[in-house]
Amino acid sequence: MKEVILHLENVWKIYKMGDVEVPALRGVTVEIKKGDFVAIIGASGSGKSTMMNLIGCLDVPSKGSVFLKSYDISRLPESDLAAFRGKTIGFIFQQYNLIPSMSAFDNVLLPLEFLEYDDASAAKRTREILTMVGLADKMHHRPTQLSGGQQQRVSIARSLVANPEIVLADEPTGALDSVTGKEVLELLHRLWKEEGKTIILVTHDMNLAKYARTTIELKDGQIMRVVENHGVKK
Amino acid sequence: MRLDKCLKHAFDMVLHSKLRSWLTIIGIVIGVAAVIAIMSIGAGLQQEINSQLNTLGGDLLTITAGFSRGGGFFGRGDSPPGSFGGSSQATSKSVILGRTDVQTLKGIPDVAVVDTEIRGSVNVSYLGKSGKVSLTGVDQSVWSQVTTTKIKDGRMLDSADQNVVVIGGSLASNYFTQPVGINQMLTIEGSAFRVVGVLDDSSTSIYMPIALAYQIIPDKTLNEYDTLVVKIKDEEQLDASIAMIEGKMRLARHVTNSTQDFSVSSRKEMQATRAATMSSMNAFLLAIAAVSLVVGAVGIANTMFTSVLEKTKEIGIMKAIGARNADILKIFLFNAAFIGLVGGIIGIVFGILLSGFLPALMGGALPFSRGGTFVSLNSILLAIGVSVLVGIAAGSIPAYQASKLKPVDALRYE
Ligand SMILES: Nc1ncnc2c1ncn2[C@@H]1O[C@H](COP(=O)(O)OP(=O)(O)O)[C@@H](O)[C@H]1O
Ligand SMILES: [Mg+2]
Repeated sequence: MKEVILHLENVWKIYKMGDVEVPALRGVTVEIKKGDFVAIIGASGSGKSTMMNLIGCLDVPSKGSVFLKSYDISRLPESDLAAFRGKTIGFIFQQYNLIPSMSAFDNVLLPLEFLEYDDASAAKRTREILTMVGLADKMHHRPTQLSGGQQQRVSIARSLVANPEIVLADEPTGALDSVTGKEVLELLHRLWKEEGKTIILVTHDMNLAKYARTTIELKDGQIMRVVENHGVKK
Repeated sequence: MRLDKCLKHAFDMVLHSKLRSWLTIIGIVIGVAAVIAIMSIGAGLQQEINSQLNTLGGDLLTITAGFSRGGGFFGRGDSPPGSFGGSSQATSKSVILGRTDVQTLKGIPDVAVVDTEIRGSVNVSYLGKSGKVSLTGVDQSVWSQVTTTKIKDGRMLDSADQNVVVIGGSLASNYFTQPVGINQMLTIEGSAFRVVGVLDDSSTSIYMPIALAYQIIPDKTLNEYDTLVVKIKDEEQLDASIAMIEGKMRLARHVTNSTQDFSVSSRKEMQATRAATMSSMNAFLLAIAAVSLVVGAVGIANTMFTSVLEKTKEIGIMKAIGARNADILKIFLFNAAFIGLVGGIIGIVFGILLSGFLPALMGGALPFSRGGTFVSLNSILLAIGVSVLVGIAAGSIPAYQASKLKPVDALRYE
């Protein structure tokens, strides 16, 4: 049995909108194993992004616990949590979320600057990773000078640059056409196969979910079922 | 994040900042420029005050004709106060200083020398360029003893001198198209005069023997003087000597304490008054400059708040990829400090330029132009320090707010 890298224990997330309470997650318990490729699927509003934010330590649960590599994230002080997040998790967002005033190179470099890498090895690593995603010739372009697919590849490079164990992708193809979306998915798949990363993909697109080995289906903030797809091989 | 990287990102933020940041910077520029310019005037004033107070002239008294009471001063030819209902004879009688006054003064034991002076405005020309300057006729046998200005070139006036002048440093060096040297001829009111000396000052005045001045300055009557400059024997006895001189002169002029038609002022007293006026004026101007700096600081705070709002999403991104609260705080604080610094540096440049122009702008109306302006290294360092501090202080609350943003909320912000 593989090591559990992520463990959600009876997690509730309740958003307060004035007097109204919106329960986005209702008692979610799930374990994710190291090296797995997980798809979280469900209709819009089912709580996928909320779950993703909790897994990524961007938010804390209203009730219950999130354990990441056996740390209880709601007990970590802010600065440790930030450093932990920087080292352990790479984020890929639907809207790429690149910093518009910085070049592709500087965007990818940024996580290493927060981790206080020395300049030479940070630059070397950044070049390597941008080359790996096929943007060796676009390093000094600004995000606005790149296509959507290229921007998403910059964002993937940024998520990988610090060599995190877990990559979280929230609807990474949502803003892309289907061909480019497929390319991005294949890039993620390759990462999983070749680098052994734990990949967690949020999507409402069943066509993309078939790349994953484990599928978690959410509905109204609860887990409906967890399906293992043994057809997906490394 | 390392400090140098925080500085780099903060600096990039200034570079990529929109017009608004530059407008904010202008606010600081104005404040700092004002402070620098005003401090330069202050330093100039201080230099002049010091040089005046500490050097010569403490034993000199200036006597002028006229009534001095309350705030009003009525010069020669004006009617004395209280006489407006009197006869026409009384109102038209001139109040003058004449030979009897000189005799009276010379009879006082405390008095060392008396210099008789008349003053007027004359046309002067040299090598085709002409202008109007102040001419003073002096008793050349004693003038050198009652002037505190030194000679830069040539010599003072001499008892035997005829048709010669001593001129101010500025008149010699830059008033005309070419500098005026010793033994050159100036044309004053149509007559030629040889320059025998140049004073070590920045005035455009001309000094000549009083006998000649009566012929040159229009509307002067022989043996009537505009001022009598008295040098007393003992500076320590200044107050007693003034009292003595006033007493004797009242007797000779048949006036009482309340109808006194002349005034005796000591150089020292005038300087002290002027010093006090100048330092309070300086303090007032500095206060105004400080207010403009405060306005600049409010501008920075405002820009920073807007900038934090505008960058909320980026703050969320940075937090998602590993930024600590402290990193965000540092970047935004440094950004504010840079805005202050850039504003401060530009402000200093403008302030130095401004301080060069100010004396000319203010003209002779204020006692400013004499001391010139002086921008000290201290005031530059102070201005840089203050503007950076102002930036940090103004940016601290917005920066703190930015650092405390929750990553999810910040990421959601559009
Ligand atoms: N910050 C928030 N404040 C209030 N309600 C929220 C917030 N975020 C999400 N929700 C609500 O929680 C539910 C789940 O949202 P989300 O996790 O974004 O779903 P999904 O990503 O599956 O579309 C939705 O009903 C949504 O409106
Ligand atoms: Mg979502």
